Amino acid sequence: MIDSIKKNSLEFFNANGLPSKKLENWKFTSSKNFKNFNKSSSKAEKQKIESDELSIVFINGVLDIDSLENFKFSDLLEVKNLNEIDNEELLHCSANFLNESMFNLGVSEFENGNYLSFKKNSVIEEVISIKNYFFENGENERVSSFNIFHINKGSEISIIEEDIKENYSIFNLKLNKFICENSSILKYGKSFNDDSQTHSLSYNYYQIEKDVVLSVDSMVKSSFFNKEFIEVDLNKVGSDAKINILNLGKQEQHLDNNILINHNAEHCTSFQHVRNILDNKSKAVFNGKVIVSKGAQQTDSNQSNKNLLLSLESNAFSNPQLEIYADDVSCGHGSTTGALDENSIFYLRARGIDYSSAQKILIKAFAKEVIDDFSLSSLQDISEIALDSWIDG
Amino acid sequence: MIKIKNLEASIDDKTILKGIDLEIPAGEVHVIMGRNGSGKSTLANVIAGNEAYEVDGGSIAMNDTDITEMSIENRALEGIFLCFQYPVAIPGVGMAYFLRSALNAHRKHQGKDEMDALEFLNNAKAILSELGLDDSFLKRSINDGFSGGEKKKSEILQLLTINPKLAVLDETDSGLDVDALRTVAKGVNKFKNENNSVLIITHYQRLLNYIKPDVVHLMIDGKIVKSGDMSLVEKVEKDGYSWLEK
Repeated sequence: MIDSIKKNSLEFFNANGLPSKKLENWKFTSSKNFKNFNKSSSKAEKQKIESDELSIVFINGVLDIDSLENFKFSDLLEVKNLNEIDNEELLHCSANFLNESMFNLGVSEFENGNYLSFKKNSVIEEVISIKNYFFENGENERVSSFNIFHINKGSEISIIEEDIKENYSIFNLKLNKFICENSSILKYGKSFNDDSQTHSLSYNYYQIEKDVVLSVDSMVKSSFFNKEFIEVDLNKVGSDAKINILNLGKQEQHLDNNILINHNAEHCTSFQHVRNILDNKSKAVFNGKVIVSKGAQQTDSNQSNKNLLLSLESNAFSNPQLEIYADDVSCGHGSTTGALDENSIFYLRARGIDYSSAQKILIKAFAKEVIDDFSLSSLQDISEIALDSWIDG
Repeated sequence: MIKIKNLEASIDDKTILKGIDLEIPAGEVHVIMGRNGSGKSTLANVIAGNEAYEVDGGSIAMNDTDITEMSIENRALEGIFLCFQYPVAIPGVGMAYFLRSALNAHRKHQGKDEMDALEFLNNAKAILSELGLDDSFLKRSINDGFSGGEKKKSEILQLLTINPKLAVLDETDSGLDVDALRTVAKGVNKFKNENNSVLIITHYQRLLNYIKPDVVHLMIDGKIVKSGDMSLVEKVEKDGYSWLEK
């Protein structure tokens, strides 16, 4: 089955090519650098990674089965190769993604994708670490991956994902699907904190059932280009989705979030909070959309995008949108973009705090308001350390 | 303590201060009163070094050091403390972190070791208690969500923590109820001693019922036109300022 899906996806990509700025989600994003990357060869020798009991290791996007030998909760985890999946619905992602040529390119190219399923009622208090190692096979490689994470009924799972690239600059084209069954909790944190000049384009689809608590938090510090698509389908009553993102941009970094939350059922809540801090010539894009379907009464939704510009040459493009087809909902959205407040700087300096320190305090304060909303305290700690080094760097 | 000579200042090319002469020796409390727009708050801001204002002439000296061209933070470290009329809210910066950062900046300037967290907390809690504030005040962000009274008490907490040489109170009494006014006055009275000075800018007599000034100055159109004792305050309360223009 997967072969026919890959074939169709390749045909779609060949017919449509790289995304153009005529597309809404690519209006402020150039894909011209994508041409510089070629599909990764899989000829490199397999690297041996020492993993700990809380880690699941992926090497160039492919699950390192050996890492599961040490994994403390391997008895709660069922793993299959996507080639073994013959359930088309399980493989299906959002229709919006299927219209994205880069998503189709990723589908056509990934090798050895995996289906990782946490069994029913798997309650894991410790935070699982997903470590994505990337090793160079050749120059200007595009590494495509596709993995499905299934959080079964009653399970409670916390994950922090981090990329480890050792200054290896690649184009990381990552596709993920998350299925959260009834009464499950998924806390998913991402930290992109290495110093590589990576291009990263990811498509993350969350299929949410009844009474689910989902939180997706991320801190991006260093990628040269980072564009993330997040789509959440709130399909059944009583679920809650929170997305908190902090992007730190310097030099000519491009940081880009495209979030779509579909309220398809009543009594669900969603919250998007994206903050960008931009220095030098860096650029951030926020395309956030909430669609409340006709029957999704008692929806409570809010989206917020705040951008702090530290230089005259930095740019933020913000496009928060609401589409509401129900009549008993509470939805809000807002966006602000501006420099550090001079009155606040004066206030701090008037207490003896020097100009540079006052600026740092205010930058940290701006970032902390989203970091404090991260659901995983360990991601808060990682982010605060990364923020300090970013400010001082 | 502070000597201001023939100070002229403007903002957006509009001259506000037109030759201020003012000297406040150590141990004294001075008051400046004047109509709205007479330049009182401009004077407070210019003393504190607010860069939105341009000093066009004259000088400001603290203990014989000319601070006219000094940066905002260095003036603060030299002992100038402005109690803001409208303290800004800074979400995300905790009061405890801010207060300790400010205090330790002063201690470093004075060649002292940084105050450790425990000693700082004990000192801060003692001041909070005197101001009728809960310890949880320290966990809140700077002035974020504070009531008008809490903002002014926050300024007094900072004043007592930093213990500067000159406190400039820019309409600190505005918007306070009687209880909060008493608390603020109590804090200022606790602060003042023979080694420091206080400059109170106000429209009303009511704060001066609790803090007794040594000298009262009346300001009109960017100049101090009359100085005297507490009887000037009573005259202004009764007759306003128009008699000064005759």
